This record gives sequence, C-alpha cells and structure tokens, in this order.
Amino acid sequence: MQAGSWGRISRRAALAGGAAAWVFAARRARAQAGAPLKIGYAMPRTGYLGVASPVAEQAYLLWGEQVNAAGGLAIAGGGRRRVEFIAYDDQSEPSKTAEIYEKLISDDTVDLLLAPYGTPFHIAIAPVIERNRFPVVAAATLSSLLRDMHMRHMWFAQPLPDAYGVILAEFLTAQQVKTASVLTLQLPASLETRKYLLPQLARQGITVALDQDYPNSTTDMTGMVSAVKQAHADAVIGLSYPQDSVLYVGAARELGVNTPVQLLLIGPGEPFFVKKFARADLEGLLTIGEWTPDQTRWPRARAFNDAYVARWKEPPDYLDSTVSYASCEILAQAVAQVGLDHDAITAAMDSITFDTVKGPIKFRGVENISTKPGLLQFQSGALQIVWPPDIATARFRPKSGWSL
Amino acid sequence: MTWQLLVSACVSGALYAVIALSLNLIYGTMRLLDVAHGEFVMLGAFCGYFLITWLGVPPLLALLAAFALNGLIGLALYQWLFAGIIRRARSTEALESTSLLVFFGLSVILQNGAALAFGGTPRAYARYDRIVHVGGVAITGNRLVAMAACVAAIAAVLVFFARSTWGLAIRALIQNRDAAAIVGIDTQAAFRLASVLGFGLAGYAGAVIGLMQPASPFMGGQYLMIGFVIIVLGGVGNLAGCVVGGVLIALLETVGTQLTGPNYRDILIYGTFIAVLLVRPQGIFGRGAA
Repeated sequence: MQAGSWGRISRRAALAGGAAAWVFAARRARAQAGAPLKIGYAMPRTGYLGVASPVAEQAYLLWGEQVNAAGGLAIAGGGRRRVEFIAYDDQSEPSKTAEIYEKLISDDTVDLLLAPYGTPFHIAIAPVIERNRFPVVAAATLSSLLRDMHMRHMWFAQPLPDAYGVILAEFLTAQQVKTASVLTLQLPASLETRKYLLPQLARQGITVALDQDYPNSTTDMTGMVSAVKQAHADAVIGLSYPQDSVLYVGAARELGVNTPVQLLLIGPGEPFFVKKFARADLEGLLTIGEWTPDQTRWPRARAFNDAYVARWKEPPDYLDSTVSYASCEILAQAVAQVGLDHDAITAAMDSITFDTVKGPIKFRGVENISTKPGLLQFQSGALQIVWPPDIATARFRPKSGWSL
Repeated sequence: MTWQLLVSACVSGALYAVIALSLNLIYGTMRLLDVAHGEFVMLGAFCGYFLITWLGVPPLLALLAAFALNGLIGLALYQWLFAGIIRRARSTEALESTSLLVFFGLSVILQNGAALAFGGTPRAYARYDRIVHVGGVAITGNRLVAMAACVAAIAAVLVFFARSTWGLAIRALIQNRDAAAIVGIDTQAAFRLASVLGFGLAGYAGAVIGLMQPASPFMGGQYLMIGFVIIVLGGVGNLAGCVVGGVLIALLETVGTQLTGPNYRDILIYGTFIAVLLVRPQGIFGRGAA
C-alpha cells in the first residue's frame, strides 16, 4: 500500500514536474529566441603577447559557455539572452586594439564590451571608451596610469601597482628583510610596479642592494643573476614576465641563489611554469596574486577552478584568468540589476558590491577597494596566499634552495 | 663567475650557430630570403614537445625526428613552391624580393596556424633537469645536452660539406651557381638537398630550444633576427663563418652585457653588426662578391 501510494504521488509529481519543465523550457526558448547579446573584445592572439593572453580569453569563453548553459545572461526587466562573442586578434598592437573597439562599438554595435589584454591595450582603448561613454571592466592590466587619467567608464578589478608596492614592502619588513635586489623587465607592468615599490622600500628602511632593469630581448640572465648573488641581499624581487621568469629560475638554480625571499612578478602562476620546473624549484617561490581555490571564504573560487580545469585541461592563471572571469561577473551582475543601458551601468558600478570568484568587489570611483593585493607562494606544489595575513591560506616559508 | 658566463655563451653560441647554418644553407644556396625561418624553428620546438610529452619519445630521438619532419616540409616547399619561383626569377634581386614576400606570408600562416592548432599558451616540459657541476661551473643538464647536440650537428654539417660529393656540390653552388651548373652539378638535386638540410636543421634547433625553454607559436622572431645578423657577420654562404658569428653574438650577449649592462645587449649586437658591415661589407669570412 505504501508503494501504491508512493506510486500515485509519483505520477502526480511527474505530471506537475513535466508541466513545470515545459513552462520553464518554453520561457527559456522564448528568451533565447531573441537576438543574442553581442559582447565584443580584442585579444592578442598573435604577436608578443599571444603567449600570455590565452589564460584570459579562456576565462571569457568559459564564462560565456556557462552563461549560455544556464539559459543566457539575465537582464533587468528583459529575461535572459544568450551571449555571443565578437572577438578580434589585435596582434599585440595597441593601435589595432583601439581600431577594433571603435569597430565593435560602431560597426558591430555590440551590447557590451570586455577588456583587452595588457596595460598598453587598456590605455589604447581609453579614449574610445570615454568618447562613447561605453562601460568596460578592466581585467588583465597592472597600471595606475589609467586611474590617474581620470577615466569614468573603466573600472579596475585588479589591484593597482601602487597597492602592490605597499604590500610588498610591508611583507618584506615582516620578514625582517633589510636589503633587496630588484630586477626589472622594461615592460609597463614591471616598470610601474618598480616605480611604486622603490619609494615604499625606502620608507620601510629597506636598502636596495642592486637595481637593474633589462630589455625584453634578453635571452640569458646568467650575468644579471650573478650580480644578484654577489649583492648578497636578503630578498630578490624579479619584476618579470613569464619568459624571463623562466630564465631567472634557470640561472638562479645554476648559480645557487639561496636567498630566502625570491619573488617573480608574472609567470609562476601560469600553467606551463609548473610543468617546466621540478617541485623543489617551485617550492618557496613567491609571485603576486590574491587568489587561490583554497580560500574557503570565497566559495565560488573552487567551483571556478574546477570548471576551468575541466574545460581547458589546465589550471587557471591565478592572476589573469581569475580577474578576467571576475570582470565578466561584474558586468553580468550590473546588467542583471540595471539592464543594458550604458549610463545606468556606469551609475550602478559605485553602488553594487559584486560577488565574484575573487570574493566581493566594490568600486570607489574606478578603483576596486575590496580586493586586497596579495602575495602567493608555492607550497607543496600549490600556490597559497601568504600575504596579507587576513586573507592568507598559509604562512610564509623561506625558500630553501633549489633541486640539484 | 667568468667561466659560468663563458659556458652560458657556449650554449647560446652553439644554438645560434645551428640556426645560422640552417638559414645560410637556404639563403646561400638558393638565395631565398627565409623570413619565416623562426617559424620553422618553432615547428621543431612543438614537434619535440609533442613527441617527448605525448609519445614518450627519448629527447635525443625527438631532435632527429624534428629534423626529419622539418626536412620533409622543406622538401615539399621546394618541390611545390620554390622550384617554380627560382626557375621564373630573372635575377638574384628579383628572386630575393619574391621569396621575401612568399616567406612573409608563410610566416604569418605558420604562426597563426600554430596558434590555432596548439593554442597560444607556452608548452614546456622538464628533461635532463639535474644540475651538473663541471669544475667550478654549474649547468643544468638540459643546457649541457643542448650544447652537445648543437656541437654534434655543427660538426656533422661541416664534415658533410667538407668531405661528401653533395656537400662540395652545394658549396660550389653557393660560390657560383652558373659555374657549378656548367661543370655538371645537378642544381635541382642540390637545391632539394639544401632545402631538406636547411629546414631540417631549423627544426632540430627548435627541438633543442624546447629542451631549455617553453615552446610557443610566437617564439621564432628573435631567432630569425639573430640568424640573419650571424650570416651577414660570418659571410653569406660561409658555413664556418656561422659558427664564429654565433659564438661572437653569444659572447656579446652574455659576457658583453655583464661588462656593460643588460641594456646594452642590442647596442652591442647591432653595433658590432653595423661596424663589421662598414669595415667588411662581405662579412668577416665572406668573399668579395658575397
């Protein structure tokens, strides 16, 4: 009898469920029958940044697929619409990026824009964005220049270099570092970070034992790393990009640079880096970043990480992939609250606290005032946040040499 | 520390010499301005990467496979593309300008094709990763293997061109194509062989680079520039000059920048390049008519 009763309820439930599913499917179909939402962006798929940008574009693509799988992007007062990306290769040339964003706005008449990749490219599109009053959430850029240009339609999801300068100096002071060697690649993010770091080091009473910059064409860092070793500083700060981060580690291993604090700006968070070096070489290496899937206070961090790994068969870059994905989330949540009107989105950016894979993000003006810039360190093969202490997932461990 | 720098210079120098040798074979023999040479190096790096990481091929075998694969590509390109261009060219200048445009197109196709096929993300693997101590010098095993592989390739090429009939035939072509044809050298067959060797060596060099550095579709540009600088320094068509030029550039890059500063790298390399051109337009080892 129990079984029969259960069986009757089951049939009713099945009917009700079927009807609900039909209504839901019909609504979804209606929503999706409308024109897709056009979202444009440019990426350097070729040229010198073609190596670095896939981790950002893959985050965009993953977000788009997830949105479409969920029935489309929710729009205030307008149901859901599927998203369709209109993307172009800017060939790592900022002038092309500006032309592409002009085209996206005027010819392709996109509804929304995502950010390009890299600081010079954000700078290149700034006049286009401002002239057209088109809101863009900046992602993979590390520059205070744009903020200082008094942009009104571009918001920075990533903490800015001046903030990294402060926390880096604070971290070094906490580790009782008295002297530091600074190597700087002559590319914008590195140079700007150095510009803010050096005064902070001076303020904290840290002496710069070696301050050397080098061109992007550098193919061997043996000489520079020799000088680092001879400087005998307590810390090495390599303001590097991925390719020269590889060169640094190779030379530091050979020369046995056993400084307990060794930081590389960009590179160690990229998937190829982990494959290139033995675990013992990565262990203790620091890089900038304030995200890890192990930070349980941001419950969606782990889900994003797992979805990214499942989709792209490699882990996300802790810096560029996460901030790029977060920039999509910010835009999506603004659209969900105020719709597609660009002035309304601009007006709303100040008032919403966005829930992202990088935790809550709130803007004051165009600057993210919620995300604290941080430092990551390889520990037991994974990157952990070691600074600042209030978001740390592990305590800092001095680097104990390299593999033999 | 000086020895450490010299060893680093030897690693880079040997690699640069192989790249310059391969470029010189193509330019010196056929007068084809191969501005896609960096992309053929890149193909070799990817070939090595996939063979080693996907199929578990031993790295040294993968170097030879990269040579063979790129050599086949070179042969196919010669048969279907360059043989016609060479035949139709009315002068050396016309051949150079036509081939420059064709290779420029090939460069774009190969770079973007690789980006589409493999993705833009760098690919890296760790092999021969232990530190080896030789005297007071510490060197990563893969750099030592890379240097040995390059020295072996250079020696093989130089012996081939000094001793074998076909090697001598190609050298004769480099010196004077018309005279070589008059004395009965099969120029078509020699061009075919130069294509296989030239493009094959580029692939081999790429696979060697893959032992030390990540492979990416956009890695080739820097090696192309270095290759051209070396063959002009050493003398167009002068194979031994490539070796000296390669080591010279590597010394400027490592020891020279250590003495002056990293920012002087390009000034040292291109300054020397211009100085040599001013004093000896035919290159250090080149002959007058080069």
